Amino acid sequence: MIGKVFIVSIFGTSVLIGWILHGPLGDKDPPTLPDFYWGSTDRKIQKEDRSIRSFKINIDEKILTDLKTRLKIELSADRLTVPLEGIHFQYGFNTITLKKFTNHWLDNYDWRIREKTLNKYPQFKTLISGLDIHFQHVKGQSKKQYKQTRPLLLLHGWPGSFIEFQKVIPLLTDPVDSDTNFELVIPSLPGFGFSERPPRPGFGPVEAAQLFLKLMKRLGHNKFYVQGGDWGSLIVTNMAALYPEHVMAVHVNLCMSSHSRTHMRHLIGAIYPTLFLSEKDVARLYPLSKYFSNLLEESGYFHIQATKPDTVGAGLSNSPSGLLAYIMEKFSTGTNPSWKTKEDGGLIPYYNKDDLLDNIMIYWVTNTITSSMRFYAEVFTLRTLGYKMDNVPVKVPAGCLYLPYEISGHTDFHIQDKYHQLLSFSRENKGGHFAAFEVPDIFSKDLLKFFNLVENNSTIHKFTE
Amino acid sequence: MGKLLIVSVGLLVVFTAWLLYGPFGDGEPPKLPDFYWGPKTKENQKEDTTIRPFKINIDEKILADLKTRLKLELSPEGNRLTPPLEGIGFEYGFNTKFLKTVTTHWLEKYDWRAREKLLNKYPQFKTSINGIDIHFQHVKSQSKKQYKQTRPLLLLHGWPGSFFEFQKVIPLLTDPVDSDTNFELLIPSLPGYGFSERSHRPGLGAVEMAQLFLKFMQRLGHEKFYIQGGDWGSLIGTHMAALYPEHVVALHLNMCTSSHPRAHLRILIASLYPSLFMNEVDIPKHYPLSNLITKLLEELGYFHIQATKPDTVGVALSNSPSGLAAYIIEKFSTWTNMEWRKKENGGLIPYYQLDELLDNVMIYWVSNSITSSTRLYSETLTKREFAWDLDRVPVRIPVGCLSVASDFASMSEFHVKDKFHQLISYTRSNKGGHFAAFEIPEIFAKDVLNFINLLEQKAKPRTSEL
Repeated sequence: MIGKVFIVSIFGTSVLIGWILHGPLGDKDPPTLPDFYWGSTDRKIQKEDRSIRSFKINIDEKILTDLKTRLKIELSADRLTVPLEGIHFQYGFNTITLKKFTNHWLDNYDWRIREKTLNKYPQFKTLISGLDIHFQHVKGQSKKQYKQTRPLLLLHGWPGSFIEFQKVIPLLTDPVDSDTNFELVIPSLPGFGFSERPPRPGFGPVEAAQLFLKLMKRLGHNKFYVQGGDWGSLIVTNMAALYPEHVMAVHVNLCMSSHSRTHMRHLIGAIYPTLFLSEKDVARLYPLSKYFSNLLEESGYFHIQATKPDTVGAGLSNSPSGLLAYIMEKFSTGTNPSWKTKEDGGLIPYYNKDDLLDNIMIYWVTNTITSSMRFYAEVFTLRTLGYKMDNVPVKVPAGCLYLPYEISGHTDFHIQDKYHQLLSFSRENKGGHFAAFEVPDIFSKDLLKFFNLVENNSTIHKFTE
Repeated sequence: MGKLLIVSVGLLVVFTAWLLYGPFGDGEPPKLPDFYWGPKTKENQKEDTTIRPFKINIDEKILADLKTRLKLELSPEGNRLTPPLEGIGFEYGFNTKFLKTVTTHWLEKYDWRAREKLLNKYPQFKTSINGIDIHFQHVKSQSKKQYKQTRPLLLLHGWPGSFFEFQKVIPLLTDPVDSDTNFELLIPSLPGYGFSERSHRPGLGAVEMAQLFLKFMQRLGHEKFYIQGGDWGSLIGTHMAALYPEHVVALHLNMCTSSHPRAHLRILIASLYPSLFMNEVDIPKHYPLSNLITKLLEELGYFHIQATKPDTVGVALSNSPSGLAAYIIEKFSTWTNMEWRKKENGGLIPYYQLDELLDNVMIYWVSNSITSSTRLYSETLTKREFAWDLDRVPVRIPVGCLSVASDFASMSEFHVKDKFHQLISYTRSNKGGHFAAFEIPEIFAKDVLNFINLLEQKAKPRTSEL
């Protein structure tokens, strides 16, 4: 009697576990995607323009004049509310610090000089799926010989831009201690900066993955590497999951997975965290109450952008101070969340004001803050969720740069359900969300380490075929 | 078998006791210290208890600056609004095509001085409470009609509203046609809103405002009074009723909610079999829960950012008239009728008048109070505020609820029973949204009058004083 009960229980439990692991917690196959098209219908009727056109940033003087006018108005008719007594960045961007930035923006920041620097590397535009995509395309400058030169796609996120990568470009095109060097492709995401915005709903992180595959193919690259942070991390991960025959390896600096087994590991790990994780890692993820309350405190922007981007976009499109506060707050909290207790949010002198303003200007001169925020609204839709990409594993080699102040705390233990060949997981003690911008040396060193690891692994290396 | 029954009953009793007296139990009102919200430098000065007449008279410079900014935002070179996505109305927020209609009207047709006159129609005053200047309208009966009793009634607005919401109901309450009772109205602006001074230090949340408004009523010579509120006004009024039952005689709400721990239980339990617990009419508003949760997620983005980073989002809103108009008026669309999200004009025209909607936006603009107004969210959603544990303190005085047709924040009669022990009136209207007094003033006033008259009749015969 007992024997039968025992056998049935074991069998029943196995079936249940099997169902859980292969059903709701199981891996999924990549979806087949239709050929997306984002341009206007009359553009489609014309033969698609496949030309790759040279591009240089040259902002119309009228835009710069209008900006100066608005800054002057905002600084003279001061309508900012002073912070509460004793408060610095805990309620958001400190308006006393804000004035320091806007004064500098009006009086000292010289766009034409910055523009020259931003035009340093070759830029182009080309129509992909009906959208004009802006990108930098940079090859090795030096005469140094490398064993192999690999195409590498670098993807930014929000509220960043292609400018985040400027300091790592020479470190990757002309590395000092590496067999491999890279031919860099650094686009602006559609709706960000100089890339055209999608005119209708539906352009999310899966659609973006297809678009960037097409971009690489347009440039003659059938096989390539990808790297991304923030939304870039999600998009390159999608590319690696969808197109393993094209994406040879993927590196991310936002180590995160939304695989259902990852969530399970995170939640169940709460029972006995140190059983699976080091003390340091535990501190970032537990207790769960602290983890979620921190997440809630920092995700207000995410929530409003995912639901009402056009509402909040109206003010941000019209007020330079407003745009500065909104974007730069992330450079404070995203670099180090404890900086909320500082009156300057830790920004001065950690970051160069002009470097920070370059990024704001990309959004301002192209007037893309609203379209950039719409991306959030496209992520949490039934359509995007319907692709079920979270549980589609990445089987190609993957590497993650795990920085101490990045928002996600997922470790290699957590993300291995998503990245089946996690060859490299680097724990550093410096840096936050904007890795390439903040710690370019650590960032490029890790990329070189990872991609050389991939190159030297003869069992997996498949570039030449 | 008998043992099993006894143990089961025993467990049930223990469970019920735990439910009623443990973590889901009622609580006692806390004792609040005497707060001060003024600047640190003036903290030790004696409080100015004068009540000073006030008239809105906005400096011409502010109006000129506003016109300059609007002109800039509407000029062909300065037009920076992103067109809506193809086929989209208000689903991604305020439709920028319609926004231009609003701001064009604002620049070319809206006449502030004429509107200012209207807003100055009833007597206004300012008085300092807890160190900050509180603006309010104080309106008594205009007619010679005799009423059995005249009661003081505190009307509290919320966000993104203002005292302007009550203008149409004022005459309906000071001089009602079919009522034994009429009201002496006190209509303040919440601290940090409109012409009321903002707090200078952290800590002024909804609970602290409850103390402030008790002192306010006492300053005006009223130890006993009625309260009516919606939005934050509903929460503050509820706190006042829970904290000061000896002062608040009755409470009327057009947004009836409860955060009592057992309210959450009720919401969950009723979801299992709604028709067993609730009035049929109320069910589709709350169930299935998945619908409600989706709606809340879709609509609470503003709440989330204001509860965490008010100073960040406040910068653009303080500087861009288009930005402020979009941010505030979006609520007048979606919170009046959620179906209007599909419409290019958000259903706002011709349902509302642009001038009225802009009156409200102007109150925020000319007083430059959008940032301080949003801080109420971050002050109320804090550990400090939750520690007062006021949610579990029941309201024992009579309460009347006006349940409008579409206010996603409202709860049904079944849900609020643990909080409102004397819910003597629950009216279901098939009209109206969140801004009830503004949108359906007759229905609103009628319900307040019905509720109060019901109470007045029930009360034992005594003198006309409360």
